[in-house]
Amino acid sequence: MAGAAHPEAMAPPKKGATRTAPPRMPGSWWGAPRIRTYLLFGATGIIYLLAGTVVLRLVWALGNGPDAWDYALGSLSHPLYLIFHALTFVSLIFVGVRAFGTMMPKMQPRNGPFPPLPAAAVRGLIYSVWALLTLLLSLVLSGKIF
Amino acid sequence: MKSLLLKLEPIIWLLFGAGLSIGTMLLTGFVLIVGLAMPMGLVDAGALDYTRAYSLGSSLLGRLVLLGLIALPLWKGAHHLRSLSIDFRGGDRDGIVGGLLYAVAVCSVIGIVAVIRL
Amino acid sequence: MMAEEARTLTIEITRFDPDRDEVPKTQEYEIQVQDDWKVLDAINYIKDEVDPSLSHRWSCRMAVCGSCGMMLNGEPKLTCKTALSDYDSKLKIEPLANFPIVRDLVVDMDGFMEKFRKVKPWIVRAKERAEDMENLSEKGTFSQSPAQLASFKQFSMCINCLLCYAACPVIANEPEFIGPAAIALGHRYNLDTRDEGDGQRNAIFRGEGTVFSCSFANECSEVCPKNVDPAAAVNQAKLGAVVDWAKGLILPRGGA
Repeated sequence: MAGAAHPEAMAPPKKGATRTAPPRMPGSWWGAPRIRTYLLFGATGIIYLLAGTVVLRLVWALGNGPDAWDYALGSLSHPLYLIFHALTFVSLIFVGVRAFGTMMPKMQPRNGPFPPLPAAAVRGLIYSVWALLTLLLSLVLSGKIF
Repeated sequence: MKSLLLKLEPIIWLLFGAGLSIGTMLLTGFVLIVGLAMPMGLVDAGALDYTRAYSLGSSLLGRLVLLGLIALPLWKGAHHLRSLSIDFRGGDRDGIVGGLLYAVAVCSVIGIVAVIRL
Repeated sequence: MMAEEARTLTIEITRFDPDRDEVPKTQEYEIQVQDDWKVLDAINYIKDEVDPSLSHRWSCRMAVCGSCGMMLNGEPKLTCKTALSDYDSKLKIEPLANFPIVRDLVVDMDGFMEKFRKVKPWIVRAKERAEDMENLSEKGTFSQSPAQLASFKQFSMCINCLLCYAACPVIANEPEFIGPAAIALGHRYNLDTRDEGDGQRNAIFRGEGTVFSCSFANECSEVCPKNVDPAAAVNQAKLGAVVDWAKGLILPRGGA
């Protein structure tokens, strides 16, 4: 869709003497690889919404007693749930890499008490926390510790 | 609605950021075991029988983690969908889609109730 | 012109004459180009030798003035900084996206200038202080350490070429958004130790056209020809707003 941008995009405060053509989107907007990645990043929002709802359902069942819990946990082996969770896992890795790799290093305050860390250091730090937390949670949930 | 949303923008973004970072970090292990490994039989389902699941989930830390697993991804999802809808010119910042955020906020409250109910 | 280094290239250029054309159209030019040309050289060649009616902006030819930004195959670039040899078969040149088109490759910049002025891209003092002016010759104007300079220097490299505005998906859809370059430059002055205008700029950053409109496509930083990284400025401005909001909770009056 090499279509039009919002007609008021970057409009001058006062209309000039000559007629102007309305602003356009870049021709390859939807097809450009970087934009596609960005739109995909936003689209993971649907996955996150659903994933949060699944956890909510499980916790609700846990509050309802053993039978409800067993039923809810058992229902997760339905192929649709498995496909969804596989998709969720891929989304999590994708979102993590984009957010922790690109976004977070840029966010460091420049006028804080400490000089900003190099981007690679921030990335390394966040990735290690991510890996450790995942390992810890996996061990706890699979009954290896606690 | 417009000025209210504008005022709430920092907290909305903070919750979105928390969903993006903490939510992603918590969900990865949870989905890996509860969503994939356990249903596929790679991990013994007995590890999360009712007694153990309840004792894990009803501890203070367990409740906090569960709350993070529910509310944070919901906020991340809602905020991202709001941005996406603007990208597709599906709504203004303060239109119906922005209102979706409030719906999610309500869901988070249900989540809190569910967690406290344990 | 040396024949052995020349090749033929078809260049498709957007044409728009407000007096004649209802909507912009495209025109193809088949020209002999040389390998060491920049894209701007080809446009200038067309204007000088083929079609004098073609309108475009350019000035310095060394990526400093920021006038010659155009869409090359859909991507905003400085035409003086882009080698023609990057395009072997097809080159489509359009005016910057997201801006009203005045004529051919010329866009209306006034919308940007308005946003730009709003963030007060100059040093604002709380009030003209007598001590600012006292003993100027002895103490120098304002002292600033290299570390303090380094905190914002990157953001001060902006040449207002508008490539980031042409790339930003939020600018395309949300006219109120203040936009990447204006935020980067406003943030640059907010970080400057000599400046005391944070309050005025943050009122713009957190009011309508809010920095929170940014959905982190990161396109601004991808296309920036001067490595300003506006996306970093936007995210730091967001974080600043959150910190001030939190401070306001703890210290209702003194915080923000």
